[in-house]
Amino acid sequence: MKHKVKGGAVIKERKMTIVLAVCLVILSVLSLFVGVMDLTVKELVAGNMEQMEILLLSRLPRLLAVLCTGVGMSVAGLIMQQLCRNKFVSPTTGATISSAQLGILLALLFLPGSNLMGRAVFAFAAAILGTWLFVWFIQRIPFRDVVMVPLVGIMFSNVIGGVTSYLAYKYEMTQALSSWLAGHFSLILKGRYEMVYLVVPLVILAFLFANHFNIVGMGKDFSENLGISYSLVLFMGLTIAAMITASVVVVVGSVPYIGLIVPNVVAMFKGDRIRGTLADTALFGAVFVLSCDLLGRVVIAPYELPIDLVAGILGSVLFIGLLLYRLKHGERAICWKARIAGGKEEGVQ
Amino acid sequence: MNHAAYRTNSRKLLILALFVLLTAAAYLFAEAHWGNERLFRYAMRLRIPKLAAMLITAFAIGGASIVFQSIIQNTIVTPCLLGMNSLYMLIHTAVVFAVGSSSLFAVNANAAFAVDLILMGVTATVVYSYFFRKTRHNVLYVLLIGTVLSSLFSSIQTAMVRVMDPNEYDALLSALTASFSNINSEIMGLSVVVMAVVVLVLRRELKLLDVMTLGKNQAINLGVDYDRCIRRLLLGVTLFIAVATAMVGPISFLGLVIANLSRQLLKTFRHGQLIAGSVLFGMMILVGGQLLVERVYSYTVPVSVFIMVGGGIYFLYLLLSRKGA
Amino acid sequence: MLVRELTKKYDGKTVVDSVSFQIPKRSVISLIGPNGAGKSTVMGMISRLIARDSGLVAFEGSDIRKWKSRDLSKRLAILTQSNHTQVKLTVRELVAFGRFPYSGGRLTPEDEQMIDRAIAYMELEPFQDRFIDELSGGQRQRAYIAMVIAQDTEYVLLDEPTNNLDIYHSSNMMKIVRRLCDELGKTVILVLHEINYAAFYSDYICAFSEGRVAKFGTVKEVMTRETLSAIYGVDFEIMEISGKPLSIYY
Repeated sequence: MKHKVKGGAVIKERKMTIVLAVCLVILSVLSLFVGVMDLTVKELVAGNMEQMEILLLSRLPRLLAVLCTGVGMSVAGLIMQQLCRNKFVSPTTGATISSAQLGILLALLFLPGSNLMGRAVFAFAAAILGTWLFVWFIQRIPFRDVVMVPLVGIMFSNVIGGVTSYLAYKYEMTQALSSWLAGHFSLILKGRYEMVYLVVPLVILAFLFANHFNIVGMGKDFSENLGISYSLVLFMGLTIAAMITASVVVVVGSVPYIGLIVPNVVAMFKGDRIRGTLADTALFGAVFVLSCDLLGRVVIAPYELPIDLVAGILGSVLFIGLLLYRLKHGERAICWKARIAGGKEEGVQ
Repeated sequence: MNHAAYRTNSRKLLILALFVLLTAAAYLFAEAHWGNERLFRYAMRLRIPKLAAMLITAFAIGGASIVFQSIIQNTIVTPCLLGMNSLYMLIHTAVVFAVGSSSLFAVNANAAFAVDLILMGVTATVVYSYFFRKTRHNVLYVLLIGTVLSSLFSSIQTAMVRVMDPNEYDALLSALTASFSNINSEIMGLSVVVMAVVVLVLRRELKLLDVMTLGKNQAINLGVDYDRCIRRLLLGVTLFIAVATAMVGPISFLGLVIANLSRQLLKTFRHGQLIAGSVLFGMMILVGGQLLVERVYSYTVPVSVFIMVGGGIYFLYLLLSRKGA
Repeated sequence: MLVRELTKKYDGKTVVDSVSFQIPKRSVISLIGPNGAGKSTVMGMISRLIARDSGLVAFEGSDIRKWKSRDLSKRLAILTQSNHTQVKLTVRELVAFGRFPYSGGRLTPEDEQMIDRAIAYMELEPFQDRFIDELSGGQRQRAYIAMVIAQDTEYVLLDEPTNNLDIYHSSNMMKIVRRLCDELGKTVILVLHEINYAAFYSDYICAFSEGRVAKFGTVKEVMTRETLSAIYGVDFEIMEISGKPLSIYY
């Protein structure tokens, strides 16, 4: 259909993308100049080394980490939602984040001298395993109601979290663990955050395979009919989502709701095809996390609120609003795939 | 109607009750210094309140879990989805954070219990009633919102923990871990009273549970005011869980295990029997678990850990063995 | 029972648009129409399962909303399409639930008698201690009908009772519907997809199209070439077999 669209229409279709991109650029520049130390363009241009150092060692790494987090978590969420055919699945409501946390704790316990790399390996392995396991479970069970899937996911996360907190309790690491696991950007400095760049190739991979994810999201028979190996693409997609999540959790900590809310908000405007919405989802995710980060830095300056808290508060309010909105304006938007797959319980015409 | 099955189940429940008695006796009298009367009395003074606390907790969680599952029409959920655990943790953390671990709240158990119960009860009632109206009685959406709020509470709680003095945190941690020690008789008395009032207020709705397992349409057809009934029962469940949590700490995951054990053993839709089974299983597991913790592991692992790990494994088993959810 | 200007909207779309009709007592009334014509929604609203947006459903002279749900359940029974339950129930236990509006769960000897009679009426004695989920589709449907009979109501509402049944079980189901009316004196209202079942077994037909009543009348009045073609958008031939109009369409 695309080739029929004329030039003006292309701009119209891409309007949201353009608006988001502009917002992102403005916010990024703003973010570089917000902080305890005042930076000014004039001084920087004049070659003030001290200010330059702050910019390069602290502000820029932080901005990049924020962007990677936003893009990564929202893309991971979108992939998981598409593959599981459920708008409520995400790294939070799947078991990805809690598994990655367990992995980090195991690394801290069994390889006490390990660096970021060691922890990352553990977190990757655990996150991938946890996500696979969760999806394997929910695919085995025919759910009568879409909302059951995230509820089971949350219980699943509770179980994994229980193991984590038991180990932490046993080795008296509960408080250390809390500060390790809750998301915050305040410790992002040059040399300590580069792991998060792993998000970039993974997101590119996601872009390349967007169509495959789309097809697999239509169901097993549908994709096999088109000659696409269902299991292979499913596992690959989940692995990508899990690795993105894990690299964010290792560096930043858990940032709740991004993967859940961002794809849903974008889908409200753009519909549900992953190819068309992937760029917007990534951009909106970055804008959202960056706004949360800025807010956290400004509200009680010179102190700052952790991103976990800001995103948690904003995210829950947004998510509840989203739920109520969809409930009021038709569940169809939220149950679209489940209806095709399972049909609704009460078939009201 | 199907009297044979009913009688078989009654017999099963009786045997279960016997087991509970045995476990309770074992808990009370194991290594109880029979020879020395003073030591024996001392042991009893410690153990009897603990036993009572466990039995009350088992009653609250066992009853609430079966009712909760029947309302949601799903047997792999537990009332821990209601978010009482994280609310409890938030309240305690916030108090220690704001006024320190030496405050009245942190030191006086009765005050802490009252504050917990009132805050949890009021918050839950207000929030859940509001969202029930907002979602037009869509109970699954209400639950999802509940979990969103509970993760919000944990976000706030973690943010506080991160900036907390480690000593204060150590003091807090003991409150955040479920335990049956140091629960005085006033608290237990109050818990029993609260639960009794809830049961009394909900006595009509409780009788409707059997019909509600037929599904919403059938229940309405048979003359049940479905939405109202669900709302009231859910609030009752929340209060029960609030009582249990305020008394011993976060422990409601136990409900998943005991409710399903009861359903597996009895295979019936009669809620009277199901609840009795669930409560008895709860008592057996709690008392037996505590016996293990005290006599075998000499207090190194809290009983909630057993429940979490055991419950987790059981949860996976349930997921694997079921055909639908 | 009287239905006046009943309206329901979903997502701003009007699904049922000021529907009015009156239901004659002691007869079988079929609601027919293409998919999305609103017949199941109307059924839901007259049985209080679905809340209406505006209009009136009057039952025995007073608004259905003013009735106590418990009282209404002694006068009117509704059976929806999908009836699955996760709990282990025997046929007899299911049928016993039909007595719930009267006994509130504690069965009297009279209740037991009613249950026996309902089971006998549906010829379910051999299965009465079998579990519902072990039965075939047709048997399960009969068990639910037996529950409705035990409920002993004047009005019986059935939403697509022949759905998912083969020809043998479908026509059996329709014969049962006829007997409910003729032998037990009930008023039966049902949603049907199969027009010829409606024509052969009912007294009145209410044909829906796009949320409105296209035609309400006796079978002969509704089963005309013009009416059916207009409603379904397909060519129809009407034939007469053993005194009943039957339609042919392709």
